[in-house]
Amino acid sequence: MTDLSAAKPGENVISIRGVSMSYGTRRVLDQVDLDVRRGETLVLLGGSGSGKSTLLKHVLGLVKPDTGSINITGVDITRCSASELGAVRRRIGVAFQAAALFNSLTVEENVALPLRELTRLAESTIKLVVWMKLIAVGLSDAGSLYPPELSGGMRKRAAVARAIALDPEILILDEPSAGLDPIVSAGLDELILFLKRSFGITILVVTHELESAFRIADRVAMLHQGRLIAVDRKDQFVRNAHPRIRQFLDRQADDMPRVAVQEFIEAYMRGPKDDN
Amino acid sequence: MKLMEQVGKAAIVRVEDAGALTMQAWSVLWKLPLVLPVVGVRRRWRSAVEQMLAIGASALPMAGIMSLCTGFILALQSASELRRFGALEFVIDLVAIGFTRELGPLITALCVSGRSASAISAEIGTMVATEEIDALRVMGLDPVEFTLAPKYLAALVTVPCLTIMSTLCGISAGYLFLAFSLDMGLRPYFQAVAEAVVLRDIAFMIVKSLVFATIIVHVGCLEGLRVRGGPEAIGRSTTAAVVKSTFLVILADLVGTAIFYFMGWSSLR
Repeated sequence: MTDLSAAKPGENVISIRGVSMSYGTRRVLDQVDLDVRRGETLVLLGGSGSGKSTLLKHVLGLVKPDTGSINITGVDITRCSASELGAVRRRIGVAFQAAALFNSLTVEENVALPLRELTRLAESTIKLVVWMKLIAVGLSDAGSLYPPELSGGMRKRAAVARAIALDPEILILDEPSAGLDPIVSAGLDELILFLKRSFGITILVVTHELESAFRIADRVAMLHQGRLIAVDRKDQFVRNAHPRIRQFLDRQADDMPRVAVQEFIEAYMRGPKDDN
Repeated sequence: MKLMEQVGKAAIVRVEDAGALTMQAWSVLWKLPLVLPVVGVRRRWRSAVEQMLAIGASALPMAGIMSLCTGFILALQSASELRRFGALEFVIDLVAIGFTRELGPLITALCVSGRSASAISAEIGTMVATEEIDALRVMGLDPVEFTLAPKYLAALVTVPCLTIMSTLCGISAGYLFLAFSLDMGLRPYFQAVAEAVVLRDIAFMIVKSLVFATIIVHVGCLEGLRVRGGPEAIGRSTTAAVVKSTFLVILADLVGTAIFYFMGWSSLR
């Protein structure tokens, strides 16, 4: 099997340059620069509210940044036309956090949907492709079920199957292991590694689960308050001395500021405020 | 100063509402042919049929019973006055004209807005919250064509049908009353109805029901697409959808009826 990652080493499939974005006065992303290289698995870490979901929406072209550019396979999606964006999106497969399967369609029909709508393949070919994708994610016997009948892990797998239906160059996974038990979550990690090995897909994973991140990642990036504070190979990343990264890796809670505690106690003693 | 600010802010919100409504109407209008059976994209019309069953067919009993009751109430209330003038037969005109021009479309619209505006906004709101709309966009499928257009088509087809049916129900209720009180036969009653109602009234009824259908499905979809966040946002959006669509239906009814009256169309026989 040819290893696609070796074909063009170091080529950037996604390159994000100076992307900033604010909701009102709150800065969600602040001068983010990030590259994803062909064939690698990059894990984007970050706590809640760090801006990682927002960055993902930018990469998918669902939100436009205030400033900066996002280049995907050579096309700047912040400035291109709608048809160019459509062409770029066909090269990306996305599995959303809540799986985003269509509940009125069976798993098979969900996976077949992009094939039916966006290609001119014959129905028999579509059936075959769907079957292959379902085998790849280990759901070959659940094809005729409806999404609400699936367990959380199966739903995520089905979402991955739909994401790889059109053989994308880039696979984007939003919180693949969120809300899953450790065994199922580990199974999903193995699936991601399998997809990388067998198809050579470039994979971008957004998560906050450390264990799974270090299992699947080639490189790890960390967002904190809209800023990218580290991008590194995973063996380098664990030695990073940035206090926020240490705190994240060691699972330390934020200190509750003394002033806030004092204020809380005082407010409590005063009792409810009179609005009149 | 505070008051000015508040008024300004409220005005901006209303203008934004109107703008969003117009934009959405325009984009759906272009996509509507795609969900038609013969000329449309393959298989799309099936989801339109599903929507027709949900919006139209399952509202049938409710709209029918509501119209029957209202027709009977209208006959009862007017009869007590008209009896004093010995003009009980005018109940026929009142029920027939009242239902074709006014109550048929209105009751249907209120019934559909209660059932379907909420259902549509909840369905689309859920799709937004679970990122299904985003998933469609990312897959390169247009959510307007995929989820909105079938609902529009379904509403535009079924609401006029429901309106015709509920008008017939209302008029039949008038017959029930007269059959009891005046011992009137079926044939003379419907002859009187046919004399009272002219073609223009029926045209007005259909136009009204099309306008109401557009308002209901439009507001439902827009409120659904506006959902940001979790389940409580969906709850708020369904409430807003019902409140706004009901309000707009009555407002449109007022404007339409006023135009009909002041153009002198209501008295020409």
